Amino acid sequence: MRLKPILANPLLAVPALLALSGCNTGDYRLFHPLSQVAQVQWWATLFELGIMSLIIVPVTVLIAVFIWRYRKSANAKYDPSWSHSLGLEILVWAVPLVIVTICGIVSIRTTHAVDPYAPGVLAKAEAAQPPLDIDVITTDWQWLFIYPDQHVAAVDELVVPAGRVVHMRLTSSSVTNDFFIPGVAPMIDVMPGMRTEDTFDAPTPLSDTGFSADFSGAGFSWMQFELHIVPQGDFDTWVAKAAASPRQLTYTAFTQFAQPTVNEHATISYFANPTPQLFETVVGAAQAGVVYPVPDALTTSVASLEGGPVSAAATK
Amino acid sequence: MQVAIQGPWSPLFGRLTLASIPYHTPILIATFAGVAVIGLVIVGAVLYYNKLGYLWREWITTVDHKKIGVMYIILGLVMLVRGFADGLMIRTQQAMAIGPNSPGILGAQHGFLPPFHFDQIYSAHGTVMILFAATPILTGLTNVIVPLQIGARDMAFPYMNALSLWLTTAGAILVMLSLFVGDFSAAGWVGLIPLTELPYSPGVGVDYWMWAIQISSIGTTLNAINMIVTIIKMRAPGMSWFRLPVFTWTTLSTNIIGLTAFPVLGVALGLLGADRYLGAHFYTAGLGGNLMLYTNLFWIWGHPEVYFLVLPAFGIFSEIIPTFSEKPLFGYTTMVAATFAIAGISWAVWLHHFFTMAAGPDVNGFFSIATMLVGIPTGVKVFNWMFTLYRGRLTFATPMLWSLAGLFLLLAGGITGMMLAIPAINYSVHDSVFVIAHFHCMVLLIGAAMFAAVSYWFPKVFGIQLDERNGLMFFWTFIAATGIVFIAMFALGFEGETRRLAYIYDPAWRPMLWTEEAGMMLYIVSIGYFARMLYVSLRDRIPVPADPWGTSRTLEFLTHSPVPFYNFAVTPQVNARDELAWRRDHGLEKTQPDAFEVIHMPCNSAIPFIIGMLAMAFGFGLIWRIWWMFGAALLGIVIAVIIRSFDKNLGYEIQPEEVAAMERNLATAGIIAEQPARKPLTEAEAH
Ligand code: HEM
Ligand SMILES: [Cu+2]
Repeated sequence: MRLKPILANPLLAVPALLALSGCNTGDYRLFHPLSQVAQVQWWATLFELGIMSLIIVPVTVLIAVFIWRYRKSANAKYDPSWSHSLGLEILVWAVPLVIVTICGIVSIRTTHAVDPYAPGVLAKAEAAQPPLDIDVITTDWQWLFIYPDQHVAAVDELVVPAGRVVHMRLTSSSVTNDFFIPGVAPMIDVMPGMRTEDTFDAPTPLSDTGFSADFSGAGFSWMQFELHIVPQGDFDTWVAKAAASPRQLTYTAFTQFAQPTVNEHATISYFANPTPQLFETVVGAAQAGVVYPVPDALTTSVASLEGGPVSAAATK
Repeated sequence: MQVAIQGPWSPLFGRLTLASIPYHTPILIATFAGVAVIGLVIVGAVLYYNKLGYLWREWITTVDHKKIGVMYIILGLVMLVRGFADGLMIRTQQAMAIGPNSPGILGAQHGFLPPFHFDQIYSAHGTVMILFAATPILTGLTNVIVPLQIGARDMAFPYMNALSLWLTTAGAILVMLSLFVGDFSAAGWVGLIPLTELPYSPGVGVDYWMWAIQISSIGTTLNAINMIVTIIKMRAPGMSWFRLPVFTWTTLSTNIIGLTAFPVLGVALGLLGADRYLGAHFYTAGLGGNLMLYTNLFWIWGHPEVYFLVLPAFGIFSEIIPTFSEKPLFGYTTMVAATFAIAGISWAVWLHHFFTMAAGPDVNGFFSIATMLVGIPTGVKVFNWMFTLYRGRLTFATPMLWSLAGLFLLLAGGITGMMLAIPAINYSVHDSVFVIAHFHCMVLLIGAAMFAAVSYWFPKVFGIQLDERNGLMFFWTFIAATGIVFIAMFALGFEGETRRLAYIYDPAWRPMLWTEEAGMMLYIVSIGYFARMLYVSLRDRIPVPADPWGTSRTLEFLTHSPVPFYNFAVTPQVNARDELAWRRDHGLEKTQPDAFEVIHMPCNSAIPFIIGMLAMAFGFGLIWRIWWMFGAALLGIVIAVIIRSFDKNLGYEIQPEEVAAMERNLATAGIIAEQPARKPLTEAEAH
């Protein structure tokens, strides 16, 4: 009986389990927030766990104690007439009300602090130096990062200079995805025909993986991208490398690129000279009904997803 | 009007071709063989023991709420096993397909399931578990118990009750059929939009998902109407509102949710149907459609739906904990208030399922607070159960163990739910397996309540004991498995694992994924104990008294076990909130009625079953775009409804002498007894 609260209350057991397994918490990406935005998120997590524990832990313990103490064989005091107590009943409404009020205040404040469009925590940093703009387009099933000011674009690789605030606009040429880099950038939906935004800071160099969190079809499990936060000098070198790519990102090139493709080995590639306003064009095209259909053959018998683009014409 | 579809179509067979039969998929062939063998054994046994007529007369055409409830539960348990098999395959695939060098078998590149097959499996898992396992089991339980708890003869509309059952069954059959004919949806149980649109899901999978839900949810809506009317109109004399057992209260609130929420789902899926069949643009990204319209509509149903499931579970705990604490429920009035508070708030929180869609911080803040408000009445309930234990005299039969385990699951699910309700936190765990772990705590709490209820009321309904030894083993293995699987899953959530991955790209997750797989093995053991529990109980058939637990408190334990088909020989007069406890305290629980009365009962009818099967054909025709089948089935349904409307059957009467005879020999009136053919009343007799 005593083990049960531990077994059944998984959250309380997480830290214990970690300690027991001698686990390297390095794998627990959310435990190691890097950006200021992620730090607020992690702080909110700990705060919420703490304040909820104020109520959950005593209740768990009390239930366990009552189960033990009032078992029939213990012959403890038995009072079948006790089923009502005005004071207690007021208390059982009041305690959760207080906790929820506190949580509510924290919720509102942190929501503003990490608002993907204009995070409160980054207001100062953004005022000091204009953010780096990046346009993100997801296709079935790759990431295209366009750097409008650097005139380059990268597939499945996101490189940003350390110390800068990054401001993204995101859209999709096919179905909905969800942009996420644990510990760095908060999640935001990426939707066709619509533009969303995401803002985060990249304080120190780091290499990590970002991915789509929202299921988008057969190639979804291979939809990761590399994240490299690098010193400014390395960033400039990288831009130069990308700019040297022979592939030019015209709209026609984009429509080729946007055909359903599983980038199984996460091959990174670059485009030079993205057409100005490509992002707006893609949003507009989706609104006008352009879709990149997934061929029936791909959905019915994907024995293997090996191989490059699956050919299917963009239809209107 | 027909939209362009990929692949062949013929007027006779629609989209159906030989290639729709997945004979090239070994897993499905094996499954089919298994299902075929089990099916043949059952059919063979029915024929061998010559029980076909019995099945038809006493079960398939029945309008008895207890039998309908039991069939709902059997349907739910079968689908629970199906859903579990799906879950096992999901876990096994993820335990195998880790890292780029992981091997693949059976045509998969990694693991044993190609992505499209895997996607179908997890989509089916969610759909089956929520709509075809949990919903029918809980509906079944309320069907069996609520009329007994309020001292009624049957539901308000017995015929409609049967219709609800057969519509739900039709939906379930369609889901099962998708295993062997065509595919199931690969776009999640929520039907992620615009993935469910024709360009991205060109096959019949989404259509299976859509029509199966659509048909079964008509059944659920009808059942909600039936339950509400039953509780309002059919209470025994003396059963005033504040004497209603809490399970009945929760059933009432749940069905108010059901009645108001399911039509929204109907509309959401109906508009998707317009997109897929008529080329409309309700939810497309382009041409004026709006994706978020679907997402909103779906969750306007979806969130109330989770409370639709959890409220009866709360009701079950509120019945069982007092019985095994030998005390009345603490704070009855606050409990009822909390129930309706939860039901009310559940309408105003749906947006928390997509905080990341980029609504502004004020919108998200509003829904965050609304969501957390649910925590208040939920907390009240936990406190009330806790104080019910206080100064009780606790015994730990399996129903009580399940209920207590459910409380701990509720605490774990509640704390994580409150975390998810904070947008700042949600932005880092939404669509991660942390969410999966959160709602599985809740859903397994509902599971615990279902098993609690089955072990609590089984002896009552069937008049025999449910084997306690295997029941205990079932309980402990199940709880241990739950602990192992879901602690590991919470950990994976913090490691950043997202849901619905057919291939695991980060090998760091391996230890936790393998831990989960070990937990799954333990679940298999627990299912074995469940089966053995049923087997031993049916083999030994140890009879039980009217109140098998000796400390039950509510009206259903007043009548005999097994419950006679007319429920109460004489409608009881209710004197107190916990009527049976009151009678026990006053030494009245054994009193017999002085005289019996004429009992008026409804006649059985084959029409609900026929309409159910026609509805299945209707769905099948739509799914495969076999228009003649769709039209013929629709016509058939209309004709059946017309025939029924002209049916002047007035039910039949049981004379007092016969009631007296059955009361002396209870086995003749129990749920499995075969009744003689009864003559319907003529109009003259009914005056
Ligand atoms: C009472 C029984 C409950 C059930 C059955 C339940 C079930 C669910 C389900 C099924 C989902 C995920 C849907 C999906 O994304 O596919 C979910 C998500 C969520 N639940 Fe619950 N829940 C319950 C209680 C609560 C409570 C008490 C809270 C908060 C106080 C809560 C807060 C949330 C939130 C915020 C999410 C959204 C998470 C996200 O997708 O990012 N739930 N719940
Ligand atoms: Cu919800």
